[in-house]
Amino acid sequence: MIAIRGLRKAFGGLRVLQGVDLDIGDGEVVALIGRSGCGKTTLLRCINFLEEYDAGEIRLDNTPLWYREAPGGGRQRVSEAEARRQRQQMGIVFQQYNLFPHMTVLDNVLLGPRFSQRVSAVEADHLGRRLLARVGLEGKMSAYPAQLSGGQQQRVAIARALAMRPKVLLLDEITSALDPELVGEVEDVIRSLLSERIMMVIVTHALRFAREVAHRIAYLSDGAIVELGSPAEVLDRPKDPSLKEFLRHVR
Amino acid sequence: MIPPGSLALLAQGAAVSLLLAAAAIVGGTVLAIVLAAAAFSRIAAVRALYRVYVYIVRGTPLLVLALLLFYAMPALDLRTGPYIAGTLVLIIYTGALFAEVFRGGVLSIPRPQWESARSLGLPPVAMFRKIVAPLVTRYTLPPYVNVCVMTVKASSVLSIISVWELTLAAREIIERTFAVFTILGLAAAFYFVMCFGIDRLGRRVERRLALRGFAGERA
Amino acid sequence: MSFARWVSIYGSTYWTGLAWTAFIALWASFGAVVWGCVLLLIRLSAGRWGARGVDAYVQLFRNTPVLLPIYLIYFAFPMIGLPWPAVVCGGLALILQNGAYISEVLRGSVNAIDRVQFDAARSLGLAPWGTFRKVVLPQVLVYSLPALGNQVVLLLKDTSLLSAISITELTMQAKLLTEQTGAAYEAFIVVALLYLVLVSSTEVLFRVAHHAVRWR
Repeated sequence: MIAIRGLRKAFGGLRVLQGVDLDIGDGEVVALIGRSGCGKTTLLRCINFLEEYDAGEIRLDNTPLWYREAPGGGRQRVSEAEARRQRQQMGIVFQQYNLFPHMTVLDNVLLGPRFSQRVSAVEADHLGRRLLARVGLEGKMSAYPAQLSGGQQQRVAIARALAMRPKVLLLDEITSALDPELVGEVEDVIRSLLSERIMMVIVTHALRFAREVAHRIAYLSDGAIVELGSPAEVLDRPKDPSLKEFLRHVR
Repeated sequence: MIPPGSLALLAQGAAVSLLLAAAAIVGGTVLAIVLAAAAFSRIAAVRALYRVYVYIVRGTPLLVLALLLFYAMPALDLRTGPYIAGTLVLIIYTGALFAEVFRGGVLSIPRPQWESARSLGLPPVAMFRKIVAPLVTRYTLPPYVNVCVMTVKASSVLSIISVWELTLAAREIIERTFAVFTILGLAAAFYFVMCFGIDRLGRRVERRLALRGFAGERA
Repeated sequence: MSFARWVSIYGSTYWTGLAWTAFIALWASFGAVVWGCVLLLIRLSAGRWGARGVDAYVQLFRNTPVLLPIYLIYFAFPMIGLPWPAVVCGGLALILQNGAYISEVLRGSVNAIDRVQFDAARSLGLAPWGTFRKVVLPQVLVYSLPALGNQVVLLLKDTSLLSAISITELTMQAKLLTEQTGAAYEAFIVVALLYLVLVSSTEVLFRVAHHAVRWR
């Protein structure tokens, strides 16, 4: 499980995260929604330390991540090697340009297990094929990303993230850049993952989808979680005025 | 029409030019990898050093750099003559140009690909070998070939510091025989073949790399 | 010898060199831009053969070093009855060489400009030359300003090669000073600095011009 406490981050003078607290239980799916610039993507990127944060704590299964107590007080960033190790417990999928264009689909999926986790070639190969079958792309193993549609590329990206056997999957608007007819196949894959009880944090604009797969939805505004609850609570019975405004616009 | 023996001399000169360029390209590429690494260093002072180096090398005419080195060599007690000075200058020059090409290549790797690699927890060596090097190679092939062609042309400048290569060979023959049009025409033809040849070669390599499936991503 | 003393003694030599370098760079740049425009016009209006001719010209100058046209004009012109001064020969060579590159830059800009503009101009009844002058050229030049700036900087640096035909520009002056005084370092380092100043000034100039024109 993940525990986030008091997360703060500023880019120069701009305060993007102003004290975020969030708990994610084992197997829970949390959707992050909000206007552009509310900090939802930054929050996601802080979770796997693609962004450093100024204050606060992130714990995974009760172990603090990313920063250690410094000998003279205060905190100290963990070493690059340790950060890499910690990142392996999380998988992330971006909005686009996920896959490495010069490698086949299978090689893309195998890259992490082979070179970060030192899984043997044979085992990694089996793992890769299995995951690609899982996302419905076993026939495209030897294809190159450029030969795939956007939806197929995203599915491979999900397989690649899963190949690391992560404890949590971070999804940053993974369908936003897709043509509408391709969105469904990606959402199907996410739906199919629900049974695996893997933690997921999904940044999304697709409220309909969030309602369907998320256990809880967090609405962010100006760098803080302003409303948090079940999809029914947040989407149908919003309390915060800015959330009401936001929902009205999105309708 | 063509003064006797001049064709052979010019051909020899062309071979020297090509060798100089080849040495400069190899040396320059190695230097450029080091420089490009400096360009992305975490230490601000190292990055600044890179920028100063590129600024000086690109802002000063090649001839001036060559003359500086040429006159500096005796002072450094290196009895090696104009060839070494010339090759060194070319390496310094092409090193800067290649470094900028590599730097541009690294910068054109889309951010999510960097972040995917980091998120997969790839150790630095694997990151370089499997991600950075292949991508940078494909992204930078056209400008790299361009610099190679520029290097062949730049070798002609070394004629002024008495490095015997194609241009100097041509000039010597002209001063002997006054067959200006013929000799310079032939010299131009030699350069043309070399430069155009490199360009075509580069395009062939580009096509082969592209065939292996890399055609840019379309999200 | 200290830097300041060196400069005060040989300042006039440097000044001569600087003046010649700037002078040649100035009119040769102008000439190269004009010549580049002419090549562009030929490419656009003289049909298939015009385009092929310009292509051949560009390829020729792209794949040969600039020293060759410099030598050619300098040595050959007196032989064919055109005993022009070295400066003119050198400048002409620079114009011919850089004009080729500039025409390519302009061509790229032309491709980037909307087709619609051409059709609009034609429907207004503008003759081809008029279209070119009023519609195409201004836009193309503005669009190309940064790339033109790059080319001018390259031309500026190429003026150093004119020392090979004994023109008393900066590099030549440095060589003279070295032969006179034996102090190679001082001579050339000052010259290198002067070139850096010239190059940087030119770059700044073009950047300012680009900004100014964009906000029109």
